[in-house]
Amino acid sequence: MDILKLLQAKAEQAEVVQLRSEATTIEFEANRFKTSKVEETSGIAARVVCNGRLGFFASSDEKALDRLLTNVLESASFGDQVPIAFPLPQAAPQVKTYDPAIPDLTVARLVEIGQEIVDLIMAVEPAAQVNVRLNRGVQEIKIQNQAGVEASFRRSPLSIGAEVDRIEGDDVLILYDMLGTTAWDKDYMAFARRLVDKLKLARTLTTVRSGKMPVLFSPTGSLVLGLPLMEGLNGKNVFTGVSPIRDKVGEKLFDDKVTVIDDATLDGKFSSAPYDDEGVPHRRTVLVEHGVLKGFLYDLKTAAQSGVESTGNGTRGLFNPPSPEPTNLILAGGTTPLAEMIAGIDEGLLVEDILGLGQGNIISGAFSNPLSLAFKIEKGEIVGRVKDLSIAGNVYDLLKQVTAVSRETLWVYGGLCMPYVLLPEMNIVAKG
Amino acid sequence: MRDRIEAALKSSRADYTEIRIEQRDATTVAFRGRNLEEASAVVDTGGIVRSLCRNNGWGVVTFNSLDGLTARVEQAYQCARAAHSEQPIALAPVPAAQEQISASLDAKHDFRGISMADKKALAESYNKIMLTFSDRIVDTQTHYGDSFTRLTFASSDGTFIEEERPMVSMVASAIARDGDNVQSAHETRSGQRGFDFVQGCEQLARTAAQRAVDLLGAETVAGGQYPVVIDPVLAGVFIHEAFGHLSESDFVYENPKAKEMMVLGRRFGQDHLTVFDDGSIPGLRGTHRYDDEGTPTRRNDLIKNGILVGRLHSRETAAKMGEPLTGNARAINYRHPPIVRMTNTAIQPGTTSFEEMIQGIKLGIYAIDAYGGQTALENFSFSSGYAHMIRDGKIAEMVKDVILAGNLFTTLLNIDAIGSDFRWINHAGGCGKGGQFPLPVAFGAPHVRIQDVVIGGK
Repeated sequence: MDILKLLQAKAEQAEVVQLRSEATTIEFEANRFKTSKVEETSGIAARVVCNGRLGFFASSDEKALDRLLTNVLESASFGDQVPIAFPLPQAAPQVKTYDPAIPDLTVARLVEIGQEIVDLIMAVEPAAQVNVRLNRGVQEIKIQNQAGVEASFRRSPLSIGAEVDRIEGDDVLILYDMLGTTAWDKDYMAFARRLVDKLKLARTLTTVRSGKMPVLFSPTGSLVLGLPLMEGLNGKNVFTGVSPIRDKVGEKLFDDKVTVIDDATLDGKFSSAPYDDEGVPHRRTVLVEHGVLKGFLYDLKTAAQSGVESTGNGTRGLFNPPSPEPTNLILAGGTTPLAEMIAGIDEGLLVEDILGLGQGNIISGAFSNPLSLAFKIEKGEIVGRVKDLSIAGNVYDLLKQVTAVSRETLWVYGGLCMPYVLLPEMNIVAKG
Repeated sequence: MRDRIEAALKSSRADYTEIRIEQRDATTVAFRGRNLEEASAVVDTGGIVRSLCRNNGWGVVTFNSLDGLTARVEQAYQCARAAHSEQPIALAPVPAAQEQISASLDAKHDFRGISMADKKALAESYNKIMLTFSDRIVDTQTHYGDSFTRLTFASSDGTFIEEERPMVSMVASAIARDGDNVQSAHETRSGQRGFDFVQGCEQLARTAAQRAVDLLGAETVAGGQYPVVIDPVLAGVFIHEAFGHLSESDFVYENPKAKEMMVLGRRFGQDHLTVFDDGSIPGLRGTHRYDDEGTPTRRNDLIKNGILVGRLHSRETAAKMGEPLTGNARAINYRHPPIVRMTNTAIQPGTTSFEEMIQGIKLGIYAIDAYGGQTALENFSFSSGYAHMIRDGKIAEMVKDVILAGNLFTTLLNIDAIGSDFRWINHAGGCGKGGQFPLPVAFGAPHVRIQDVVIGGK
């Protein structure tokens, strides 16, 4: 049964997205290979524009296709009048998102890698408990619409994540890091070595005073600055008028050293793909260049509402209609070597990880978070881990003046590429 | 279906096997500002087989097509055989249950019988209240959701449970703007109830809009350490984050150092502090007769008069620690195996009135409502929706961006007053852990006063 044809017969525009994926997960719990899991997922989602109104339906039950037809048309009868146009076929960039080496990883090989990670960490921290989760999969996505789009592509996501719990008396240290990729990465142990470095640094506990001081955000820590920006750059928040930077394209909002790019066209990265989830070719979108706001992220609907073109950021799960989201988000590296940045700090804080990311009124740019992993920097050296402190600020104020951005960048949590960012002064509240 | 499930279980070569099949129908109506963003229904059908080979480990298989159950059972067995746990894994015994649990929605209010037009009209009416509340309300999000899950759980221990799980929710968020100052506020309501549960919520929409507008005039809190009075909503989130997650024994059962830290009998609070989790209270979001391993739910005291007295278990953690079953193995859906989770977690009421609580405070904060919270076990964060300064024993000006930092070993001991005004909170959304989000839970608490809380700020 050709669903698209059936829908086309009843609606002006129609789109059918089919998803099929298989994944294998190996879980180490408390240093031991405890669980293995196989997941098979399949489903179909449809959108129609009927009498100018948009409808949506999704199902993971392939036997419920008759309901798909009825429900998507019913949904459209209530739907919003949006000037959306499903795209014409367009050439997409060549993006490598499938590497046969990943589906070829056997369970035995995954277990071996997991053990290698556990062994590396246990060698430096024998009392730690390590939980490792290795997940490799194959996803097949097919997007069709009445305008002739027949976009289909395969991805081979691999993620390896490790959590280390170290308890000494009443001191609890929990560290997490991960690798996320769609191309086999020979240096798959890099993230585990970073965990080891942090564990070693965290052995010494020290204290820090409350007050104002320079703060250095690591690539994982700088997410606290990136998250409010992602909200402000989201076309949906621009269209609805809640983004504080909605009308500031072309204005210099941030320090020269701030450049932000969304790019799903990079080979082998975690969020890479030739097309977005609406069949629009992916592209590289510069959002902020040397502090100047260049644009926002749009999907088809928010682009149509705003009278602009989709930037290819339509993102969806099976059961939700698309919305604009970042793909691989890159905060561009700067010119200063990290070592030089640290060496130049007389008294300051290195923020590696924060608690409660995204809580609070982040659309305004404001954040306030306790730190789950932070180090004190004294006279140009990292001297120890500090606990029980909080930082707060507003990214739209803080990023106006940036002391330095590191030359080094790291891919963290899958699709984020971040440098170290040094801010001249923030207020630290410490317990005591 | 029952025959196929039982035949598949019988074919298993594992020491223990369970099968869970779900069929979920869900409706969503979402307004964003003046636009109807979504009015749609989805169907989600799938299943999970979980097998245990005592000397190896767990095997898990999830799928959408319900054909070939016996082959899935064999695949789960092969997965379990591949693992190599150090010590044999035991499961605490549960009595075999044979149950059919139907959703007690009366026909008139069963949301499956309500038309999409009526659901849309209801959401639209709340949305309109917020949009027309003030010209400073620039954006809204009004979200109506219902879902009806038919669940079958069967295990090789002889349990066979068929259960209907309904859930309805309404979320109203208002965003107010004044120049570059953007503030948001939200109100929610959710329960295992019928359509009538989310009717008549006009006040909820007005409250959200009013608060968003009020927050435009609020100053950002000055960072520092304060005595803080938290309302029942924030106190509920607080006890969930501050302590609840620590009492989930999957964090403890394989970790000797965690066991030492969380040894039963240790003091965590003053004598007036009693904390419990209870998945058996009718009408709350986290309530079910059985957990997702077929263990009956019940009340479990966690802290009694300040002393740690219990923790939450799955069949595996209870067996490993030699402690009684609590009925806390839960899964958000068929894509995940059950893990140790909270249900409805609460601070037992005390005797202090709200007036007594704020009376003696020269400079402090009254923090109300919650955006959420996160824990790294020893340290945690919980954020208020809005707050007021307390000056000379009186509620004073509104402040914003009040996010509280806590430490397990000091913050609970610093609770020095517990109110008598207990209530249960059934908010939409839920708890996240191990990639499983959102799990429906409820919180319960009265007003609570905590000394020396770290609050980040300028």
